[in-house]
Amino acid sequence: MNTRMLNFLKDFITYFLLTLGAAVIVVPLFWMVSTSLKGSDALFTYPPEWIPRPAMWSNYIEAWKMLPFGRFLFNTLFITVLAMVAELLTSSLVAYGFARFQFKGRDTLFFILLATMMLPGVVTMIPAFLIWSKLGQIDTFDPLTIGAWFAWGPAYIFMMRQFFLTIPKEMEEAAVIDGANVAQIYWHIMLPLIRPALLAIGVLSFQGNWNNFQAPLIYLNSMDKFPMILGLKFFEQTLSKEAPMWNYMMAMSVLMAVPILGLFFSAQKYFIEGLNVGATKG
Amino acid sequence: MPVSNPYIYTLVHWVVVGAAILLLMLVVYGLLRAMKAGRSTAVGYALILPWLLGFIIWQAFPIFYSLYLAFTDYDVLTPPQWVGLENFRYMFTKDPRFWPSVRLTVLYSVISVPLGMLGALATATLLAQDVKGVGFWRTLYYVPAVLPAAATALLWRWMFASQGLINTLLSPIYNLLDMQPLSWFSDERLVLPSFIIMSFWGVFGANTVVLLAALKNVPKELKEAARVDGAGPWTVFSRITVPMISPALLYVLIMQVIGAMQNFTAPLFIKTPSGAGTFLNVYVYQQGFSNFKMGYASAVAWFLMVLILILTALVWKWSAAHVYYEGEMRKS
Repeated sequence: MNTRMLNFLKDFITYFLLTLGAAVIVVPLFWMVSTSLKGSDALFTYPPEWIPRPAMWSNYIEAWKMLPFGRFLFNTLFITVLAMVAELLTSSLVAYGFARFQFKGRDTLFFILLATMMLPGVVTMIPAFLIWSKLGQIDTFDPLTIGAWFAWGPAYIFMMRQFFLTIPKEMEEAAVIDGANVAQIYWHIMLPLIRPALLAIGVLSFQGNWNNFQAPLIYLNSMDKFPMILGLKFFEQTLSKEAPMWNYMMAMSVLMAVPILGLFFSAQKYFIEGLNVGATKG
Repeated sequence: MPVSNPYIYTLVHWVVVGAAILLLMLVVYGLLRAMKAGRSTAVGYALILPWLLGFIIWQAFPIFYSLYLAFTDYDVLTPPQWVGLENFRYMFTKDPRFWPSVRLTVLYSVISVPLGMLGALATATLLAQDVKGVGFWRTLYYVPAVLPAAATALLWRWMFASQGLINTLLSPIYNLLDMQPLSWFSDERLVLPSFIIMSFWGVFGANTVVLLAALKNVPKELKEAARVDGAGPWTVFSRITVPMISPALLYVLIMQVIGAMQNFTAPLFIKTPSGAGTFLNVYVYQQGFSNFKMGYASAVAWFLMVLILILTALVWKWSAAHVYYEGEMRKS
């Protein structure tokens, strides 16, 4: 009896705390959506109006039309897809090299790679900008996409190497006997085998490029090249000059968040997998 | 060949660079083979070539180049002028905006990271109690970490507005204590606490997920054995669970510190009075790209990097005594 009471109490406290934490997360999100559907006269009412009546879905259309958001969306997708493809291809090649081949200095180089995970981007930002400006590519999409061919993102290489290490060597040995070369083995045998890792990294890379703010801010000047996030910044600056129109700003924030949330809910297995690979061997 | 369409322009460059790198990998392989290197060596070097090139061009060279720039005056238009230690002298002794920015960045990191870790550890511990629907809770707690930092920053700026949600919810307390509503991001003194509160919300999810996975890997037998020996729940937690998950804790801690010290997106989306919310990374950006003082910005960037290295080293050193790696005797 006593232990049952104790267990009940423990469960009760656990679920109570979990619900409390959930409320802390859900309430602001709800407030974001609720604000985005309000008329400008309903923004500061007291007590706060949680479910706006009428819901002004037109806010989304009006805010969307204030700036070329369609163009911004296309730019984001353009940058994200090019960077992601290059990133996946090169980081899997590099990871394959580190995982499967013996060569002089391999372990030292791999250690350097891991050390670069801790290198703060702030020191390389200015020289990288100067390189791109010497090449005459400021205000083009080049700096945001072409660097990906150099397997940026040491964490991705690390994750992929860990994955390659779990694949039995016999698979390749059989192929070598059949006369396949390295390129064939990589493309026809290894890549299909590491599909889960590719998906996990693809998702993380998509998220990273979608949310990246510093690089586009530095490299892009003309508005017709802005990705969504710079559009949002520009939108915020424009609106803040007059009274900030929080309903419009929240509407655009929701639009910025929805694709990532959608991706997260449909592929959360890969998000979580990606996170954990990094941590297990830190 | 001038192309006016910016998409085709970059697409062409993208394809050319990609093809060039693949070609270069083949060349390296061929050269190494011609130099009588073994097959494994030749293939290995060829495969890691993209990263090696990237490391040299985008990391090794930039680090030293920015160190050089830190000793120069450079406005991009005219060549860098060597000024010796002048940038650092100005930074440490005269620049009125430098030390407040250091203070904000460091305090933010050393307060928000441990708080976030504690919160995440508490949440992960709750979730590890065989709760029903772990997947549901885990997903929910992860949501703030997935949201774009820009959207999160705007949301919190709105909630912290003088007539925003938080002040509305707090108004009974304000009335009770007979005080003026707080102005959060608009009050210089409250900028730091506001950023910390906001980070607490965002940082939860990813850490919780990592720590939860680590907690699930702690062998049940260990805890049961301790309990049989008469250890209470707190002893089990502090003497067995925490040491067992300490590698994951260390990993999360270091990554969080590096991230927090470079806070950038949120402060640029949140207006604060008289630059009270200028984190060091933002300051580097302002000096370099608004004032075109690339030399001075590089000096500040280097300072920030050294600061991050020192903090990381401290964490590392502290952890050497506390982190337990399975199958490894403690060295010291």
